[in-house]
Amino acid sequence: MGISRDSRHKRSASGAKRAQYRKKRKFELGRQAANTKLGAKRIHEVRTRGGNRKFRAMRLDAGNFSWGSEAISRKTRIVAVVYNASNNELVRTGTLVKNAIVQIDATPFRQWYEAHYATPIGARKGKGAVKVESEEINKARSNHVQRKIESRKADAKVDPALDHQFAAGRLYACLSSRPGQSGRADGYILEGQELAFYIRKLKK
Amino acid sequence: MSEQIEKAFQKQQGIFQNAKVAGKKSVKNNRWYKEVGLGFKTPKEAIEGHYIDKKCPFTGDVSIRGRILTGEIISTKMKRTIIIRREYLHFISKYNRYEKRHKNLAAHMSPAFIGVQQGDSVTVGQCRPLSKTVRFNVLKVQKKVVKGAKNFAKF
Repeated sequence: MGISRDSRHKRSASGAKRAQYRKKRKFELGRQAANTKLGAKRIHEVRTRGGNRKFRAMRLDAGNFSWGSEAISRKTRIVAVVYNASNNELVRTGTLVKNAIVQIDATPFRQWYEAHYATPIGARKGKGAVKVESEEINKARSNHVQRKIESRKADAKVDPALDHQFAAGRLYACLSSRPGQSGRADGYILEGQELAFYIRKLKK
Repeated sequence: MSEQIEKAFQKQQGIFQNAKVAGKKSVKNNRWYKEVGLGFKTPKEAIEGHYIDKKCPFTGDVSIRGRILTGEIISTKMKRTIIIRREYLHFISKYNRYEKRHKNLAAHMSPAFIGVQQGDSVTVGQCRPLSKTVRFNVLKVQKKVVKGAKNFAKF
């Protein structure tokens, strides 16, 4: 293999070629990239400098994603890799890396929302019959809980862009962890300007 | 915004932009900035501007520590970085005289400093390595004073 992270092989700032005067050292080592793909979880453990470990995720299918404006996180299935700012190849092969835009399953977030605010989200308009409101919204609640929910309803408004995504059952999210280092694919749901930016990129 | 030129969404790391709007706060620029210390004033453009630069000492993730040096700008052709020339005199003891020497230094210049040209004097502070040759960050610009030639200016 022999991947090293030294700068002795590079030319100096003046352009001079540096002569090799020593062999590669272990503390300069580099390892093969993980290239984490979507699939059934497969994680390799790596012993690193100092006896510490890194978890090299070779395949992942789920991650912990946060809905920032609502301040909650849920473990969700990752459906597909949709955009990568660095390399289109990584989108084609479905590689999970930090800052990749992915589509995640919306159901845990929908369930939380309907339990927290007792209002439907992502309701499909003009598709014929009105969908039967889920059991979560209409279940029997105690007086105290009912009052709490009523007081929350004022904040229950969701951005229409997010609402569309809920209707489709898929949300756009961005990975914020490094799967090849931590073994996890965690991230946050795209909202606001960031969401608008990436939707525009995807449309092209 | 016009600063989203790159393929990835440019934003300040660690600043949450999408908090639920309860009132009028959405219009204000939700920007983070810091004072670099050592008496350097953070420019108004850094506080009120819209640029995103993770290597900016005022709005990014670099700290200024170590040496503070000054020099004259000789090149501003690179993206967000400049070359500074520092002149000094070296003493030759045999002849009891000095000789002129110079060293060039690459420094990162934040977009907070606008209208900076070749020939201006600049104060730079040491920070962690930002690239292969850049270890300094511009903190203050002192424009070159052109005596007498107030009418001619480059277009």
